[in-house]
Amino acid sequence: MNENETELKVQALVDGELTGREAEELRARLESDDGLRTLHARLTAMRGLMTGAELPRTLPESGDFHWSQISKAIEREERQTKRLARPASGAKRLLRWMVPMAGAACLLLLLTLQQTTQPYLSISLGSDHELELSIDDLDVMTFNTGDDNMSVVWLDYSIDLQQDEIDLWLD
Amino acid sequence: MPEEPAYSSAEEPQLVQWAKSGDMQAFEELVARYRDRIYVRAYSIMRNETLAVDLSQNAWVKAWQRLEQFHGEASFPTWLSRIVTNLCLDELRRQKRARTDSIEAMEETTGPVENRMEVETIDPVEGLSRGELRERIDAALAKLSDKHRTVVVLYEFEQLEYREIAEKMGTSIGTVMSRLFYARKRLASLLKETLKRDGLIE
Repeated sequence: MNENETELKVQALVDGELTGREAEELRARLESDDGLRTLHARLTAMRGLMTGAELPRTLPESGDFHWSQISKAIEREERQTKRLARPASGAKRLLRWMVPMAGAACLLLLLTLQQTTQPYLSISLGSDHELELSIDDLDVMTFNTGDDNMSVVWLDYSIDLQQDEIDLWLD
Repeated sequence: MPEEPAYSSAEEPQLVQWAKSGDMQAFEELVARYRDRIYVRAYSIMRNETLAVDLSQNAWVKAWQRLEQFHGEASFPTWLSRIVTNLCLDELRRQKRARTDSIEAMEETTGPVENRMEVETIDPVEGLSRGELRERIDAALAKLSDKHRTVVVLYEFEQLEYREIAEKMGTSIGTVMSRLFYARKRLASLLKETLKRDGLIE
């Protein structure tokens, strides 16, 4: 145990925070250690000085004014609480449903428009086919599965395409 | 017509009971009885009159809102004192985020301050009234950093245990012990200085 730890334990003993065996051991040590005994005495004196030493003060505003501030704040808080707890009116309740529904409808419309503007590619692929495109700006990836008799084709058509510009050759 | 309760002569538990049932006049009487006490605790921690008044008011508002939670385990003023103390600690945390604590900065550069100080011997001084001594202690407390003064106020005046202080301040018991030790050394040193200056001790 270093010196600082011992000092803190002496303080804990003075404050009644050190109990049991630890307290007994420290008390025994105090008997033979002048330095620790002095520290114990000084801390005890300091505690005595601090007991009831909080300086009494008077609120620097009148009691009536203080109360008026408190009661106004209480009323304000209660109004706020009531307002938050009050059930929404018919129009507000309708609006609460309408906003997300309108949002969902807009999203659906957007997706539908996107679908209809995609180039229509009427192609049918069997397995083991290669795909060639007439436009260099269009990226394509294919994946064929022989077992499932299925081909997956990814087309990157972010460029502005007209349906009649695409010719696909399958071999 | 029912007679209005005699608030000013009513016992504290009765006033609390009335206030719990929504009687604002009973609560007003409680405020009148303990407003100075609550303000003193806020001032002891904050050392700022305006802040102490504001925090005391907030404490009363919170007390009204939480009256149902008061079951009389501690006395009503003790319960109130805990509320205002918590508000003060919240305010200090808020302030701390905006500035650097000087003691912390010293510790970082030169090691713990408390290792470089002795605990002074302060004997009760003859010819100095309790009131005068309180004033000197108060002046010395004002010179401590927020965190050291707060530990002293919570331990000596609010009479909390180390563990409770650690919980409230969000720190370890070891840190509380260390801060309290340093604060006491510094207080003793400041008191000795002022008493020497006034020729009350050699």
